[in-house]
Amino acid sequence: MLLQLNKIFKWVNVGGSRTFLLRDINLTVQQGEFISIMGPSGSGKSTLLHIIGMLDDADEGEYVFADQNVFKLKEKQRSQLYKQHIGFVFQAYHLIDELTVYENIETPLIYQDMKGSERKAVVADILDRFGIVGKKDLFPSQLSGGQQQLVGIARALASNPKVILADEPTGNLNSKQGEEIMELFKKLNKEDGVTIIQVTHSEKNASYGSRTIHLLDGRVDQIVNS
Amino acid sequence: MLRNYFKIAWRNLFRNKLYSTINIGGLALGLAACMLIMLYVAHEYSFDRFHKNANRIFTVYSKTVMGADTMQMLNFSYASAPIVEKNDGAITASMRVKKEYKPVIIQNPEKVKAKFVESSLLYADANFFQFFSFKLLKGNSKTVLNQPFFMVISEDIALKYFGNADPIGKTLQVKNDSTYLFRVSGVMKNNPSNTSIRADFVVSLSSLKSMPEAEPFMESESFQGGAFLTFFTLKNQNDVAHVQHTMQTLGKKVDKDSKDRYLLTALPDMHLKFDDSANIKYIQIFPLVAILILLLALVNYMSLSTARATLRAKEIGVRKVNGASRKSVAFQFYVESSLYAVLSFGFACLLCVLFQSRFFNLLQLNIDASFVYSPAFIISIALLLLFTILIAGLYPSIVMSSFKPVEMMSGKKSSNGSGVWVRKTFTVLQFAIAVALIVCGLIIDRQLHHLRHTETGVNRENVLVVPVQKTMGISGNALRKDLQDLHGIISTAMAHYPLYKGYDMFFIQGKAKNENISLPILSVDEHFISTLGIKWRKAPIDKFVISQPKKVVINEAAVNKLNIQGDPIGKTIDFGRDEYAIAGVVKNFNFQSLNAKIDALVMFVAPDTTNTWGIEGNSGASMFIRVNPKTNLPVLISQIKNTYEKYDKDTPFEFQFVDDAFNAMFKAEDRLAGIFSLFIILTVLIAGMGLFGLAAFTAQQRTKEIGIRKVLGATVTQITTLLSSDFLRLVLIAFFIASPIAWYVMNQWLNDFTYRIEISWWIFALAGIIAVLIALLTVSFQAIKAALANPVKSLRTE
Repeated sequence: MLLQLNKIFKWVNVGGSRTFLLRDINLTVQQGEFISIMGPSGSGKSTLLHIIGMLDDADEGEYVFADQNVFKLKEKQRSQLYKQHIGFVFQAYHLIDELTVYENIETPLIYQDMKGSERKAVVADILDRFGIVGKKDLFPSQLSGGQQQLVGIARALASNPKVILADEPTGNLNSKQGEEIMELFKKLNKEDGVTIIQVTHSEKNASYGSRTIHLLDGRVDQIVNS
Repeated sequence: MLRNYFKIAWRNLFRNKLYSTINIGGLALGLAACMLIMLYVAHEYSFDRFHKNANRIFTVYSKTVMGADTMQMLNFSYASAPIVEKNDGAITASMRVKKEYKPVIIQNPEKVKAKFVESSLLYADANFFQFFSFKLLKGNSKTVLNQPFFMVISEDIALKYFGNADPIGKTLQVKNDSTYLFRVSGVMKNNPSNTSIRADFVVSLSSLKSMPEAEPFMESESFQGGAFLTFFTLKNQNDVAHVQHTMQTLGKKVDKDSKDRYLLTALPDMHLKFDDSANIKYIQIFPLVAILILLLALVNYMSLSTARATLRAKEIGVRKVNGASRKSVAFQFYVESSLYAVLSFGFACLLCVLFQSRFFNLLQLNIDASFVYSPAFIISIALLLLFTILIAGLYPSIVMSSFKPVEMMSGKKSSNGSGVWVRKTFTVLQFAIAVALIVCGLIIDRQLHHLRHTETGVNRENVLVVPVQKTMGISGNALRKDLQDLHGIISTAMAHYPLYKGYDMFFIQGKAKNENISLPILSVDEHFISTLGIKWRKAPIDKFVISQPKKVVINEAAVNKLNIQGDPIGKTIDFGRDEYAIAGVVKNFNFQSLNAKIDALVMFVAPDTTNTWGIEGNSGASMFIRVNPKTNLPVLISQIKNTYEKYDKDTPFEFQFVDDAFNAMFKAEDRLAGIFSLFIILTVLIAGMGLFGLAAFTAQQRTKEIGIRKVLGATVTQITTLLSSDFLRLVLIAFFIASPIAWYVMNQWLNDFTYRIEISWWIFALAGIIAVLIALLTVSFQAIKAALANPVKSLRTE
């Protein structure tokens, strides 16, 4: 078991009344799974992803990641856990505009206090794996959307995480680019055993996963195994 | 990691050229101003500290009671120093120096051309170069002054009189009343700029013993006032009270009823206490202004950086998602701020170098280059850099590192409310400082104008003063007669003192017992009153009466001070030896500086046949020449010069306009006004830059709002008004905060003046209008730009 969510609740108070973003979410994810989260706008997909990614807290419930109770960890330990095991991929890529491709991929390694020479080796390896060695000195604005997302995924993988959380990774791409990215995810999942949890609107993309979780109004509506 | 931060900071610097320029430029301006002021203040405080024993050397001064006034006297008799030294074991060495009051003519007898008028000749005890730490380049410090008519000259003087030849052993001829030959026994380094004891020529004090003109100074054999600055080196700096007590006892021996007090002051304090008292005001005000300007620049920097933070929110979010802790983000922004601060600092240094001489001209200061590079000053500059880095980075790093990545990703811009509030406060603060300084500057300017144009009772225009020295002998009158014949000269007059620069003081017995009345005295000739356009209150019956023996002319203030009832004409004043009858009363006129109210004045009027003007007065006399304003002045002056040189071949011709002499009295205020205009320009520039940046940022942030408003039908004017009015409100708040503070401070300042203006409301109105205009100018540029933008574009990008 990689991670487990038990009875997760999250809400906001708007004008005195409580609006639930998530209600009673229970989810167990095994190492090497490929999970898709689907649901209409406002159903809580992103919030759930943020909680899994430790970017956000729940108001109630328990979250166990790699045998550790996340909500009870201290900030520092949680950050440690998260730095080592989780990679993020965004719909809008979120590359740092002022940094080159190489430097963007290097960034998470810097925060892991990896030594300069080692960082070089890791980044070089990833550039090679993704076939973007030739673009390493370009800035994000000089790349197409698909290429930017490729760099985004490369960056997420740089720290060799156990799980990649992807928030609509193909949302800003055309269908061909999207397909390439999904193929990449599939390959990473199959060949490297990386656990992938993606939020998506598209049935087609969801079908790449082994399990699809349908959310509705913050609740798990349906779980479909494929 | 550090390299990564530097890289991104560097790229950001070039990516946002406008912000970078405003940020770095503003900070550099503030830092440069701060550095220059620091240089000035540090220099003032460094006076006389270069002496090895600076903390043990003390200057003697007395508080002497004269009539109702207490005066500080720095000069003591020739005998004083040895007497005190003999009577107090705590004194290890003593020193007397006497400055030659009037300029002397010095000549190298071997070179006819090497003849100049010199005004910095100092007589000093033989141990001068051991007592003080002036550096001797040639000669032995123990023997250079140990014989009469030995002379030590500065490097510059050596060059001036001897060229590159070795001056040691050569002679220089000094023309005082008689001519003396001095032998050059040593060469010293030029005086540093921070010494209060200045001399180009130091000659042995023992020379005075054989100089007849010095006889009056050498007579006294007791401890009392005299002509010599007196210094002591004490064994221990805690012996001050002991020595003061000894001096007090010695003083009582001379006059047991004396109320005089004898005191010591540390040598390094002498400069600010006695030398340049105008400076002490600035020394207090300037550091404050420096801090204000630095604060302004830092606040500007912080507010701009945090304003930009929202644009960096994405980067911060990404970094945090990628594992950056709050600490490392804070550190990153610190590194960035440091880079900017160091760059600003570099530019500031450059600005300093460029504007240093202008700034010091404005302050009428002279600061050695060696002082600028002294370790003490470099350390203080380094501290300034450190402080700047520390403060400049603090707020941005705290604010930026607090951004939450989730907010960034869910598309919420992190323009948190508190940031906006802080920036508004900063803007108000900046403009409050600017408005306050503008008000101060306007008031200083008005006050100066008022002083210059105050009715002083003297027609100062077109009157020249020519000093007449002893070398003129008895030819003064012949010169006057000759000048009178020149076309373009209306009238001439003689007096002992130039106007505003001195008068004698008499104490006469008042009506009550033991009452002493002080009476300022001017010795003038019969043309003085008419030449200077002084008005009569009660004119004499016949204008020749006033110059008859035992007659005096007094002013209105004297009538009051002496409490003369009825018609003063014919009443007498008892001057001890003789009684003088009042021949006429003139209206009050300012004969001393405008710092004082017009005091009583008695004028002894000599007939124009008197020809002993130059000889009588100790420091010569002054000739007043009223010229016709329509004449060709340069030609006339050269004619006067030629005539003058016919009668006096030794003392070079000099002249000054009474108007200039009058204006020179406001040197301190002039400096202040000059400095203030500089400060105003700086603050306005910095505040304007800050506002410009902030407006640009706000416009950028509100792009979407502006787009929507335009789609809904808002006109360009409406949008410009919308964007500008926010800032104008801030400027108005700043105005209301700054005005009372400025009013209070300037009212205090004005209270020091005898002749002062009242602060009128229009000064505040003008300052307010200036501030609003500056704000409008900077803001509306951005606002109009934003308002003109195509809404389709701005809405699509969102």
